[in-house]
Amino acid sequence: MECLTHKSEIADTFSSVRSFSYNEKKSPLIDQERINSFLDSLLEFRKSLKEKTETIISFNDRIERITWYNDLDEECYMLINDLISTIKDLHSSLIRQYISMNYIRQKGIAKEEIREFKNTIDVLKENYQDLESVFFFLPEISEFKETTKLLSLV
Amino acid sequence: MNIYCLEDFKVEFEKLNSKKSYNNLEQDIIDYFFDKSTIELSAGVRLNNSEDNPYIKKRLNGRGGFRLYFLLIIKQENLYLMFVHPKTGSEGSENITDESKAFLYKKVLNCIKSNDLYHLSLNDNKDTLIFKRTEVV
Repeated sequence: MECLTHKSEIADTFSSVRSFSYNEKKSPLIDQERINSFLDSLLEFRKSLKEKTETIISFNDRIERITWYNDLDEECYMLINDLISTIKDLHSSLIRQYISMNYIRQKGIAKEEIREFKNTIDVLKENYQDLESVFFFLPEISEFKETTKLLSLV
Repeated sequence: MNIYCLEDFKVEFEKLNSKKSYNNLEQDIIDYFFDKSTIELSAGVRLNNSEDNPYIKKRLNGRGGFRLYFLLIIKQENLYLMFVHPKTGSEGSENITDESKAFLYKKVLNCIKSNDLYHLSLNDNKDTLIFKRTEVV
C-alpha cells in the first residue's frame, strides 16, 4: 500500500517536473522577446533624451551668443523679451518631464542621460535669467552704466 | 594675455582650492585662461554690452561646475578675474545678484585705477597658479 503511494507521488513529481521543463524550454523564447522589446524601448528612450538634451545645448549656445550682439533696436529688445518668456515656458515643461522620470531614475535606468538632461535644463534657466539681467535689469542700475562709461576711458 | 585678479577672487579661489571637492578649479582656470587670445576668451555671457571691455560671466565645467566673472580690456590684452563661485557642493550657491555684479564691476575699475591687483602666472610645471601683487603694465 505504502509502495503505491510513493509510486503515485513519484509520478506526480515526474509529471510536474516534465510539465515545468517543457514550459521552460518554450518560455525563454517568449521572455527573450519581452526582454528585447524592453531593451529596445530603453534604447529608444535614451536616444530621444540624448537628442532632446543636444537640442537644448544648442539653444543654450545660441542664447549666450545673443549677449554679444551690438546695436540692437527696440524690435530686437521686444523679440528678446518674447524669447525670455518662451524659454521660461519651455523650462517649466522640461522640469515637469524631468519630475516624471523620477521612478525611472530611482531604478537607475538611463541615469547618466537623465542627469545630463537635468544639467542642461538648469543651464537653460540660468540663460534666461542672464538674458533678463543683460538686456533689462543691469542697464537700469545707474552704477553699472556709469562704470561702463568710465571703463571706456581706461 | 596679462592675467590679473582682485583680492576677492584670490580669497575665494584659495578657500575653494583647499577643499578636496573643488580641487579641479585650479586646472580648469589654467586650461581656460592661459595661452589664449582675446578672441578665444570673448565667450560666455557678456554682461555689459561693451565691445572693447567686455565684462563676462563664464561657466566652467557646465552646470555643476564653477561660475567665473572677469573683465577683458581688449586693447591692452589685459584680463581681470573678479569672482568665482561653485554651483554645487558645500560652498555651492546660486548666481550672484545683479547688484553684486554691478558692485564687482565698479570694484574692478577702482582696483585697475589704484593698481590694487594680483598678477597671475604659472609655475614651471604649468600646473599651479602664482599670485603676485603687482602694478598693472
